[in-house]
Amino acid sequence: MRRLSPTPPILSLWPALALLPVLISIFISFHNGGATLLWEFICAAVHPSIQAEVVQSGFRGIQITLATALLSWSLSSICGICLGIASARVVWETFLGESWPAIWIRRILAIPRAIHELLWGLLLLQMVGLSPWVAIVAIVIPYTSLVARVVSDQLDTQDRRALRGLKQAGAGSSSALITALGPAMGPVLLSYIGYRLECALRGATVLGVFGLGGIGTDLQLALQSLQFNDVWTALWLLAAVMFSLEQILSLIRRYFKFSKNGIWQIFIMLIVLLILCALSIPWLNAVDINLGEPLHWSPLPLPTVDELVNAIHALPWIQLISSTMLLTVLAAGIAIGTPPLAMMLWPSRLGIAIQRIIWGLLRLIPIPLTALFLLLFSKPSLAVAALALGAHNIGVMGRLLQEGLDQQSDNNLKALSATGAGARSAWLYGCFSGQSRSYLAYAAYRMDVILRETVVVGLVGGTGLGWQLIESLGSFNWAQVSVLITVFTALTLIGESITDRLRYHWTGFTKKLPMVVDLQS
Amino acid sequence: MSSRPDRAFVLTALICCFGVLSCSNQTEKTLRIGAIPDQNPERLNRLYGLLSTELSNQLNVPVRYKAVTNYPAAVSAFRTNSLDLVWFGGLTGVQARLQKPGAEVVAQRDIDAKFTSVFIANTKSGIKPLKSLSGLQQLNGKRFTFGSESSTSGRLMPQHFLQQAGVQMKNFSGGQPGFSGSHDATIALVQSGSYDAGALNESVWKSAQKNGRIDPAKVKVIWRTPPYADYHWLAQPNLDKKFGNGFTNKLKSTLTGLKKSSEPQEKILELFGANSFIDASQKQYITIEKIGRQLGKIQ
Amino acid sequence: MRRLLDIRGVFVHSSRGSRLNDINLSISSGERVALVGSNGSGKSSLLAVANGSLIPDSGKVLWQNYSTSNLRQRQRQKIGTLWQDLRLVEELNVAQNINSGALANRNLLWALANLLGPIELKACSECLEKVGLSTSVLSAKVSELSGGQRQRVAIARLLRQKPELILADEPLFSLDPILAEEILHLFLDNTMTSDMDEERTLLMSLHQPCFFQHFDRVIALKSGRVVFDQPANCLDEEALALIYGSA
Repeated sequence: MRRLSPTPPILSLWPALALLPVLISIFISFHNGGATLLWEFICAAVHPSIQAEVVQSGFRGIQITLATALLSWSLSSICGICLGIASARVVWETFLGESWPAIWIRRILAIPRAIHELLWGLLLLQMVGLSPWVAIVAIVIPYTSLVARVVSDQLDTQDRRALRGLKQAGAGSSSALITALGPAMGPVLLSYIGYRLECALRGATVLGVFGLGGIGTDLQLALQSLQFNDVWTALWLLAAVMFSLEQILSLIRRYFKFSKNGIWQIFIMLIVLLILCALSIPWLNAVDINLGEPLHWSPLPLPTVDELVNAIHALPWIQLISSTMLLTVLAAGIAIGTPPLAMMLWPSRLGIAIQRIIWGLLRLIPIPLTALFLLLFSKPSLAVAALALGAHNIGVMGRLLQEGLDQQSDNNLKALSATGAGARSAWLYGCFSGQSRSYLAYAAYRMDVILRETVVVGLVGGTGLGWQLIESLGSFNWAQVSVLITVFTALTLIGESITDRLRYHWTGFTKKLPMVVDLQS
Repeated sequence: MSSRPDRAFVLTALICCFGVLSCSNQTEKTLRIGAIPDQNPERLNRLYGLLSTELSNQLNVPVRYKAVTNYPAAVSAFRTNSLDLVWFGGLTGVQARLQKPGAEVVAQRDIDAKFTSVFIANTKSGIKPLKSLSGLQQLNGKRFTFGSESSTSGRLMPQHFLQQAGVQMKNFSGGQPGFSGSHDATIALVQSGSYDAGALNESVWKSAQKNGRIDPAKVKVIWRTPPYADYHWLAQPNLDKKFGNGFTNKLKSTLTGLKKSSEPQEKILELFGANSFIDASQKQYITIEKIGRQLGKIQ
Repeated sequence: MRRLLDIRGVFVHSSRGSRLNDINLSISSGERVALVGSNGSGKSSLLAVANGSLIPDSGKVLWQNYSTSNLRQRQRQKIGTLWQDLRLVEELNVAQNINSGALANRNLLWALANLLGPIELKACSECLEKVGLSTSVLSAKVSELSGGQRQRVAIARLLRQKPELILADEPLFSLDPILAEEILHLFLDNTMTSDMDEERTLLMSLHQPCFFQHFDRVIALKSGRVVFDQPANCLDEEALALIYGSA
C-alpha cells in the first residue's frame, strides 16, 4: 500500500469522527430525567405565547435586533473590505514590491478575531459606559476582522497573470489591481457578505447585555425562567426574520447573476451597505434607542505588573488550555464533518429538504439552550459542551455547504449516476467533491469562531479558558482578564497559521481559486 | 448612463446625512434605572413599566428603564455613571459600591433583609436532609451545580457555606461544580438527575413549588441556609447634584412608601414578590463583602 | 444480434423549441454507429436520452427492454458515456477518477477508501495503459493534465466501467487529425471489448466524414429529427449535403 493521499472530500468528512467519542460519552451517561421538560419545550413550539405583553415586547425586540444587525453588518462589511484590501499581499506587492506590511496587518487583525463580541462589549463598556454604540462596535470589531481575512485571502489566491500583464503594459498600480482582481471579487463578496448578515443577526442577540433589549434579551430571560412558550414566541419571530432575509438575499443574488460585471456589483453593494447603514440609525431612534447619547469616558483600571504575574501564577494553565483545545477540536470536528456526512448518507431530495430544516433549527436555537437540553439528558461533561457548540455550528456549515452545492452545476452528478454509481457514492464524487475545497476553506474560518464561542458553553462543564474568563470578569480581576485575552489571541494566531498552512498544503497553493469563487462559477 | 452613478452618489450622500443627523442628542435629565433581570420577560416588562411610571409621577422626572442582562455589565454600567439607580443582588451591589465610592444603598424588600438559599437534591442521589452544616460533606464526590456565577443566593452564599462545612470545589464529581445559568435551570437539572444536588434562591424555589413545576418524588430540599442580606437598590452618589438637593432621600421615601393600598403600587410590590420596601444600609452587606473577598469574587 | 437500445417516439422540448423530434431508432449489440449532424442538431440530447440522464418529455427509451429512467445500478453500468466536457472530478487524482468508473459494483466504504488513498491500482494501470498513458500520471491531479491527457483519463474511466454500449459525445472535437485518429482507434480497437469478450457496441457523435468508413452505420440528425440512417457505405456527397447543407 502506498502513501495515503487524502483528497479534499475525505478531509472534509473525517472530522466527523469526533462524533464517536462525544456520542459514546453522552450515551453512557444518558438518562431520561429531562423527558418531560423536553416534551414541554416541543409542545410550546406549537403554542408560543400570544399574550399582548410578550408579543409586543418581542415585536419591538426584533426591530431593535434587526436594525442593530443591519447597522453593524453594513459597518463591518465596509470596514472589512477596506482592511481586507489593506492586508492583502498582492496589493502591497503591487504598490511597494514587498508583502511584509500585509503580513503584519493580518497578524494584528487576529486580535479582534480572537475575542468574542460579548467580551469586546464588556471591555468597551468599562471605558465608555452604557451606550448603544458599545453593542454595535462590539459586533463590528470581530466581524470586520473576519471579513478582512476572507477578502484578503480571496485577493491573494487569485490568478495573478492578468495583473502582471497589465503592469507590464504600463498600467498604474491601482487601476491594474482593480481591473485584474476586481471582476472576480464581485460574486465572492456578494456571497460572503450576504452570509455575514445572518451572522450579524445572531450576533445581535448579545445586545441585552448592554441594556439595549432586543429579541435576544427576551429569549435569554424566557430561557432563564424556563418559560418555553415565551421562548418560542421569540424563536419564531427570529426564524421569520431569518427566513425573509434569506429569501431577499437569494433574490438579490439571482438578480446579480445576470449582470456579470464584478466591479459594478461591488459598487452597488457598497452603496446599498451605506444606505442601509444610514437608514438603520433613524430606525433605532424610532424604537427608542438613541445613538446620540453622549459617551462617559472613564479609563479602564490597568493592572500592574505584579498583579499580572500573580494572575499568571494563580491559574491552572495547562488544564485550562488543554480543555479549551479539546472542546474546540471536538466541536469543530462535529460541525465540519456532520453536514457532508449526513448529506452523503441521505442524499435524496426529501433527505436534503429535511436536513435543511434541521440545520435552520440548529442555527436558530441559541447554544445555551441546546446545552441545557443536552444536560437534561446527560451528565455534565466536556462532551455535552462540545456537542452543544458543534450542533449550532453544524447549522452554519450546513447552510454554507448547501448554498455552494445549489450554485454548482449538476453535470458531474449526472455523469456519475449514469455510470450506475449508487446515490451516495454519486453524491460524494459528483456533488460534494466539487465543493469540498471551498468547504474546507470555510471550515478553517469556522475553527476561529468556535474557539471564540467556547466562552458561551464554558458554563456547561465549568471548564476551560472561556469559563475562566467569565469568572474573572465577574470578579473584576483585570489582571486575569488581560492574561486570558492574551492567551486566547495567541491560540487564535497559532490556529490560524496552522489552518493556513494546511489549507495551502491540501489545496495546493498553485491552484487558483480555493473557495467562494468556485461557488459562483 | 453616465449620470446614473453620479445620481446614486448624491442620493447615497443625502441618505447618509439624514441618518447621521437623526442621532439627535437628548439633553433632558432622565433618571436611568437598571436591573439585572431574573424573571420572565412578561413579568419584567409589566413590572418595570409600572415602576417607571410610578417613580416618574412621584418624583417629577422622566424615568428610563434599561434591562442589563449580565451581572458584570450592570456593575460596570453603574461604575461608568450610565445608570442612576440599579436593582442589584448582594454581591453585585457590593462590587458596584466598591467601584463607585459614595454610592448609596437606598432600599431593599422586606424579604431581602433575611434572605435564604436552599440546597436541593435529587431523590435518587441518596443525599439525606441535613441535621447540621457539616452534613454538607455528603456532597463530596457528587455532581453539584450553582446557578449563575455572580449570583449571591445561587452561588456566593452556598459556596461560602460549603466551604465552612469543609467541602472543596474540587471535591465535586468532575473536579468542579457546574453553573446552570439560572435558578430555574438549577431546579430542572437537579430534578432530571443530571446533577445530584444544587443550590438556589429560596423564593424562586417557593414560586416554582406554587406553580407545580416541582415533582416531590424527584427533588427535595435538603437544607436551608442561615439568613443573609441580598437584593437592594443602589443609587449614584451624584443624584442630588443632578436632580436637586434631597432627591436621594425623596427617592428613598418613594420606594419605601409603596403601599399595597394603591392599585398600581400593589401590582409593583406583587411583581417584586414583596410586601413593602424597607430602609437598608450598607452595614448589612459587610458579611457579603468579606465572603466575596474570601472567595476571590471581590479583589 | 441482440437489441440493446430502443428509442421509440422520443420528444424533448426546451425553452427554445424542440431538441428532439419524434426519434425512433434502435441499436443492436456489436454495431458501431456514427452520429452526425450540425451543431445544435440534437446529438448531445440524443446521447443524454440514451444513457438515461435526460428524461424525454414523451416516448420511450428502452435498454434491453427496461426503461432507462429506472434501471438498476448494474444495468446502468452497462451504458458508458464519454461526455463532451469529460466531467472528470477535478479535486481527485487520475487513479481516483479512473476508479470512479467502478462505483456501480462497489459500496460506499470502497468509495470512501478510494478518496483516502490509492486502491486497486493494478486495474487502474491496466486501463491507463490501454489508453496510451504512462502509469506515472496515476497520482497526478487531473486538473494539472493537458487536454489530450484528460480525455484519455476519461476514456480510461470508461474502460474501468466495462460497459456494453459506449456513448461518446464528440470525443474527436478540437483534436488535431493525427490525435483524432489515435483516439478513434482507441474506441474501435479490440481493447474496447469488456473482459467477457462480448461484442462492443459504439454510438459516437462526430463531424469528420473521413472517419465514417470505420463505422457500420451512420445516423444523421437535423433539427432534432433523424434524416439519414443507413450503412456507412451508402453515405455519398448528396447525403452529406442533405445533412450539413442549409435547409
